[in-house]
Amino acid sequence: MANDTVMEKEKKASLYEPVAGKIVSVRQMTETEKWFKIELEGKKELHHCPGQFVEVSLLGIGEAPISISSSPTQRGYFELCVRKAGKITTVLHGMNEGAEIGIRGPFGHGFPVDELKGKDLLFIAGGLGIAPLRSLINFVIDKRKDFGKVTILLGCKEPSQLLYKDEIEKWSKLTDVAFRCTVDRGAPDWKGNVGLITELIPGVDIDVKQTYSIVCGPPIMYKFVLVKLMEKNIPENQILLSLERRMKCGVGKCGHCQINKHYCCQDGPVFSYDKLKGLEGAL
Amino acid sequence: MSETKKKVRVAFFDFADCEGCQLQLTYLNTALLDILNSIEIVNFREVMHERSEEYDVAVIEGSITRPHDEERLKDIRAKAKILVAYGACACTGGVNGIMRNHTVKAALETVYPGRKDKMETGLIRAVDQVVKVDAYVHGCPINLNEFAAVLKGLLLGALYKVPDYAVCVECKLKENVCLYEKGQICMGPVTRAGCGAWCTSNGNTCYSCRGLLEDMNKQGQLDILEKHGVTVEMLKDKFSLYNGCKLEGNK
Amino acid sequence: MNIKSRDSKYLKGACMKYNLLEKTKVSELVNALKKKYRVVGPKEKENLFVYGDIEDAGEIRLEHKPPILSLKKYYLPQEEQLLAFKFKEVKAVPVEVKKENLVIFGAHTCDITGIICLDHASSIEPRDSNFHKRKKNVLIIGIECLRPCDEHATCVTMDTHNPKGGFDLMLTDAGNNYIVQVNSTEGENLINEYKFLFKESDAKSEDGLIKMRQEKEKWPRSLKVKTDDLKKTVDSGLKHKEWESVKARCVSCGNCTNVCPTCYCFDIKDDVDLNLNNGTRSRVWDSCQLKEFAEVAGGENFRKDRKSRQQHRLLRKFSFSVEKYNRFFCTGCGRCTRACMAKISLYETMNNLVKE
Repeated sequence: MANDTVMEKEKKASLYEPVAGKIVSVRQMTETEKWFKIELEGKKELHHCPGQFVEVSLLGIGEAPISISSSPTQRGYFELCVRKAGKITTVLHGMNEGAEIGIRGPFGHGFPVDELKGKDLLFIAGGLGIAPLRSLINFVIDKRKDFGKVTILLGCKEPSQLLYKDEIEKWSKLTDVAFRCTVDRGAPDWKGNVGLITELIPGVDIDVKQTYSIVCGPPIMYKFVLVKLMEKNIPENQILLSLERRMKCGVGKCGHCQINKHYCCQDGPVFSYDKLKGLEGAL
Repeated sequence: MSETKKKVRVAFFDFADCEGCQLQLTYLNTALLDILNSIEIVNFREVMHERSEEYDVAVIEGSITRPHDEERLKDIRAKAKILVAYGACACTGGVNGIMRNHTVKAALETVYPGRKDKMETGLIRAVDQVVKVDAYVHGCPINLNEFAAVLKGLLLGALYKVPDYAVCVECKLKENVCLYEKGQICMGPVTRAGCGAWCTSNGNTCYSCRGLLEDMNKQGQLDILEKHGVTVEMLKDKFSLYNGCKLEGNK
Repeated sequence: MNIKSRDSKYLKGACMKYNLLEKTKVSELVNALKKKYRVVGPKEKENLFVYGDIEDAGEIRLEHKPPILSLKKYYLPQEEQLLAFKFKEVKAVPVEVKKENLVIFGAHTCDITGIICLDHASSIEPRDSNFHKRKKNVLIIGIECLRPCDEHATCVTMDTHNPKGGFDLMLTDAGNNYIVQVNSTEGENLINEYKFLFKESDAKSEDGLIKMRQEKEKWPRSLKVKTDDLKKTVDSGLKHKEWESVKARCVSCGNCTNVCPTCYCFDIKDDVDLNLNNGTRSRVWDSCQLKEFAEVAGGENFRKDRKSRQQHRLLRKFSFSVEKYNRFFCTGCGRCTRACMAKISLYETMNNLVKE
């Protein structure tokens, strides 16, 4: 791709043409979320970076932007965690193993993996926010020696909404990863922490010079998490946020995901906080 | 999407209406045959005799007026997987809703002079004022393209969503000269789109047969109309022609 | 053909070519063009104008106010098919842009500027190939404005009232003749092809052009904010009380963006035939003024209220576009003000933003 001239690209024509992908496995994760494992036609690699997204394209229905939740270190397939929320995701939830779907992408700027090498990483994920972060978390775990201290803070509303339960179990047992999980509201069989994710931040030991905080969650979470991270004096350019927007085309044309001069689908969805600070409607 | 999939059984029912919207369907002509590959119409008074009480989709035409209509509708709702409000009378109460501005007695006297004692009617309601509605096909009459979109949505598992923006959007894309520019009154700015600005593109004005916008800047709209010399009384008539059941205080 | 290098504010440093076209020959030119091209231009529609196909040269209204929709529709149609697919095969093929040689006859400089803006937006990688394929086959013959359209036009402040490029030929009224400025190889080829209709330009006509353009600087400016201050005015004025008034009036009819020559946002929608065999995916114009524009599937809406949507519109015209493309995305055509149901005026809003 990178070597194509403009003309060659235009001959290839459509930015909007999906490639075929096959659902090779589906798993119900919670009441509203499903896990999809997808192989591209001919087992082609997606070649994504952690933090990027694809447009899931169902011909006749439409397209929806979905974060890639698997690490690029896993070859031959990729994974999506999909919440049933709109038209496309509802139809997708009704699809079974073997079904074919269209895929466009990967799109956008993911996490700056090279910049993160050798650094301490503080992951903060709320709710479905774990989906894009999982891509980076598993990448980091697979290349553990390339990174410094790793801390994962995970939160969601209630235990039944916890995603990737098996995997979380594994993360919590890793000796070289500090893992903490909390739920806003407990349940009878919940033995873990109860409280907001922001309450976990003060307890993390942070070397401000070399800590990057990587945050993804519902819009309301950013505001409060940022306050706590500021209190910890983490520099603004070391706070990475993955944003959700209505990224309709994925290629910076349709205008829906615009945040000031940025198109979330091309310039994001991962932004460092210093780029977003003060921008109207960004956070 | 397998070929052998069972056909979706669709039943039409009418209540207080002119049946004009059902008649529209016959204008689909050969296109109707296409869709009949995927659906089976099991109850359709305008074109068939035999009926069945087993259906997946109930298409309701007409507004709901009498107590036994209400019961019948609730019964249909209980049997149907999907219930579609079809046409202005079903979706908003339609022109029948004008009765909301009058007493039942006065209405009967006006509409059925000399026979009023033999006639029965009650509070006029839109279908969604009685039971849950899954999809709407607005309009007086309905727009066939939109009904096709609803049917396809049902078959594809993705329900059609009516736009919640003004008819102006579609009207402007068709490059119509705004009726207000010509000193006419048009309900387009307060009416939900989806008809492709059908009337205003064909020399008519918009009567709001598709119902009022959900997310309306009411004061802003009133200010606009006032600027064009429209009085509150005129407005009331304009608003209640198709939306009598849905106006504030009438819900 | 006359080639001259002139040192004037308006023709400075440029090596420009001019011809003359007798006014009585315009019809002949249009009819000749029609043999080879699809010719579109401003026509009357009731009491307004629209760009449309010219069946007869007499339909063209070179004297016109900006048509209801701008030239945008010839480059990014209201609805454009992107993909065609067989529904059951899960396979889509791109729909090729129909190759069509188009002549736009009689566009104002503001509308030509609109195409320049769209070109910038479409050229950012990855390029929008459909736009460029269409643009390649369009010839623009502009008509220079000799008077402002009305008080709603802000072309003087936006500096779009004089021809500055983006066209192939530009006609300027000079009494019995149009002075025809050549601005591209394609434009020159066109003149050569229809040589029998054109005359050589003369110094008198060209001097007249300069004088006329000097006069144009005296046009009234309804947009009082200085061109250099436009960005600052929007950026720093987001808390200004003027926005409350805009919010109270806006009814989200989307007229302002639909008529705007530089708004390029679109939605993507799928259509399937009733037989569920064939389908298409198309893009259709969308508007940031509509409630659902910035809403995500989960229900979060990043521009819920009308104030933030209207602010977004002006920021896109005067601020974001400057940061991203180094130019304003307002051409001063005045359409948004003319078409607004609620009489929200771009220049009044801007003028009020600089008041205390």
